Amino acid sequence: MKVIHRTIVASAIALCMAPAVQAQELVVGFTRDADTLDPANHRNRETETIIRNIYDGILTRSSDMQIHPEIAESYTQVSPTVYDFTIRSGITFHDGSSLTVEDVKFTLDRVILEGGMGDGQTSPRGSLLGPVESVEIVDDSTIRITLSEPWPLLPAMLPHQQIVSQAHVEEVGSAGMATQAMGAGPFRLADWRRGDSVILERFDDYYGGATGIPEAGPACVERVIFQVIPESASRVAALLSGDVHIINELPPHSMNQVENSPNAQVMTVNGTRSFFLAMNNEGDIFDDVRVRQAVAHAIDRDLIIDRILGGTATKIDGIMSPDAFGKNPDLPEYEFNPERSRELLAEAGYPDGISVTLDTEGALRDTAEAIASLLTNAGITTQVQVGEGTLLTQKWRTQGGEKEGDMYLTSWGNSTLDPFDIFVPTHRTNDRGNSAGYSNPELDALLDEAGAELDRERRGELYQQAEALVNAEVPYVYLWVPQDIYGVSTRLSNWSPSPDSRINLHRACLD
Amino acid sequence: MTFTRFLERLLQLIPVLLGVSVIVFVMMALTPGDPVQIMIGDQIVTPEQEAQMRRDLGLDRPVVERFFVFLGNALQFDFGQSFYHRRPVSEVILERLPATIELTVVAMLIALFTAIPLGVLAAVRKNSIFDRIATVGGLLGVSLPGFWFGILLLMLFAVHLNLLPVAGRINYGISQGITPYTHFLLIDTLLNGRFDAFRNALAHIILPAITLGLPMTAILMRVTRTAMLEVLRADYVTFAQAKGLSRQRILWRHALKNALIPTVSVAAIETGSLLGGNMIIETVFGWPGLGRLVVESIFVRNYPLVQAAVLLYAVIYVMLNFFADILYTILNPRVKL
Repeated sequence: MKVIHRTIVASAIALCMAPAVQAQELVVGFTRDADTLDPANHRNRETETIIRNIYDGILTRSSDMQIHPEIAESYTQVSPTVYDFTIRSGITFHDGSSLTVEDVKFTLDRVILEGGMGDGQTSPRGSLLGPVESVEIVDDSTIRITLSEPWPLLPAMLPHQQIVSQAHVEEVGSAGMATQAMGAGPFRLADWRRGDSVILERFDDYYGGATGIPEAGPACVERVIFQVIPESASRVAALLSGDVHIINELPPHSMNQVENSPNAQVMTVNGTRSFFLAMNNEGDIFDDVRVRQAVAHAIDRDLIIDRILGGTATKIDGIMSPDAFGKNPDLPEYEFNPERSRELLAEAGYPDGISVTLDTEGALRDTAEAIASLLTNAGITTQVQVGEGTLLTQKWRTQGGEKEGDMYLTSWGNSTLDPFDIFVPTHRTNDRGNSAGYSNPELDALLDEAGAELDRERRGELYQQAEALVNAEVPYVYLWVPQDIYGVSTRLSNWSPSPDSRINLHRACLD
Repeated sequence: MTFTRFLERLLQLIPVLLGVSVIVFVMMALTPGDPVQIMIGDQIVTPEQEAQMRRDLGLDRPVVERFFVFLGNALQFDFGQSFYHRRPVSEVILERLPATIELTVVAMLIALFTAIPLGVLAAVRKNSIFDRIATVGGLLGVSLPGFWFGILLLMLFAVHLNLLPVAGRINYGISQGITPYTHFLLIDTLLNGRFDAFRNALAHIILPAITLGLPMTAILMRVTRTAMLEVLRADYVTFAQAKGLSRQRILWRHALKNALIPTVSVAAIETGSLLGGNMIIETVFGWPGLGRLVVESIFVRNYPLVQAAVLLYAVIYVMLNFFADILYTILNPRVKL
């Protein structure tokens, strides 16, 4: 009796001492607001980052960029152009209704069909599904996606599409979808204060998300707020003061400040954008591989990464990120050697060096100036010309049209980390991103073969061969992949940054 | 001032505003490259969407016709669609306007209520230590860049002292259940009788408002000081002193009234320049107002929105100047419009 009495007293004291119960609120200090909350009506990474916490996809990616079934239970590739997806049962939307195969078909149709959003509107996300021709319901748990041509990217691209409820869309219309988000994701929309914040609350009946990633179940935190703070110094201040728990785009010069703070730390991850220097392979100077090699040897990438990029980039020797699928890990490096550059130039018939121009846009001016001075030191007298982004794109990405200019410093994003949407467009003859005007039938054949290959391993090997081939020919000088830098509260656990800059908060916890 | 003079003065605004709209329009017409292509940038759109954008921007019509259509629509507050928000520009702007107005008004009030007493004191104690500090402070206030001063305040009050929040207008948790009668949070929270929320909104607005109002405070203080010095030398003040009126009464009742004339008109004009300062301050403090929207829109080349906002700013600025003139003649009947 005495023991019971004591226990009661102890529990009572413990209860009194317990801190006031507050909603566990995870705040993300975010660079910008969502454009819309309609998963089908935008082409913006930040918007998608927010939407992904409200809506789930058929497939998803973990932070190591592996693809996992999410709303689907499993999927199989029936033929080069046909994929079957088994949809899980027992998934409910935030309004309590069940998610069905009809909703999945409706979602994809809304994106791929001409005028699929109603009122004559076509989704700007259709092109993310490339050659998807049709979506059919096979039975009440299976969806079949048919392609008009083989497209190995489908699984990597499906995480970019989030499943909506047909009934909800029909009720609120496409205009209503911009603000009235209602998905099957880990958080439901509580409020959207435009320009200020997006407030999400835990969806308690969440089915748990992808089975391939541990810790399934409802989200850990009760509330998530994406607080818009565009100025980076203010984002850092918000992190250090404890107002927010994750900030994106931490500027390299603030990394020390964050590291030295007792309540925050820095997290980095290789991004998905590759930077490179295109040389006009169709021009009179750079049609000679020796001149291109001379340029490659003249650029001290380590120096630029260290001095200009604050050490926050990873060197590359091919177009792909070191984390990409099909990346050849054994590519030889063109080490910094200006003497070798001069020798190569002399061999190519330019003993007195050459004089060239380097095009770039304003944001890359510092880097371009640094490259120009390194090149000039090696006998390649380079003058930087800063131009407007879209005009430069028109000038350089001519898709086979005549090309003027000598060199172009630019980049290409690759959110799938699959060679298919970076290697192919930048290297295949006359493709949309081939700013070097490079053309090699042997490479084209390899890339085409890889594009149609069903066996993933074999496909990876083909890309590795292709990279080795290109490395010797250097149509471009491959420079680096910048890292994405995040500042994170030490109170946060179970979250790590993802190369595709998604901030999925389903599993994140706060102490 | 007669009513006819007032009307005449009002009519004079029309050519000014017309000129402003021509400039705003030409800004877009002269942009190198195809504005539609520039707006689309890396995004992928269907040919139909591109054609629709061209139609929305009126690019399929001759330039002169385009100008008149633009003008006609602008008069009806119709600035077309914001491609990025996929909503009408006017709707996007109206949504952000209250936050900006609230911040501007609070900044202005802070400026007025600190600048005038400080300016009077500096004048009364001319050449004292206080006067010198005020003069140096005024110089600093005008010359300190807002973004730098703002971040300094953030580091002190948010990070080191942890007293005030960094960004936003109000905490979500505390703001629930408040009916937005006016969309001005400081007023809405009071109308709802929610003093906790009022305090929270005040804590959010105080740093951006001080930062925004600083240059205005400095300018007004110097104007007040100069005007006050002049007035204190006037005959009627000497007469009042001779009459034996108390110093306080002379200062605040007789002298200040006249010294405020230039202050008031400068204040009205400076309120216009607060609008420009808003763009920087709202970005630093994550304030969800129009200034930040304009900055974001410039970065993504959202021309229709930038056009509309610039026009709106110009109209507000012109109107403020107009009111400053009117106010001046009311306060100082010797001046004719």
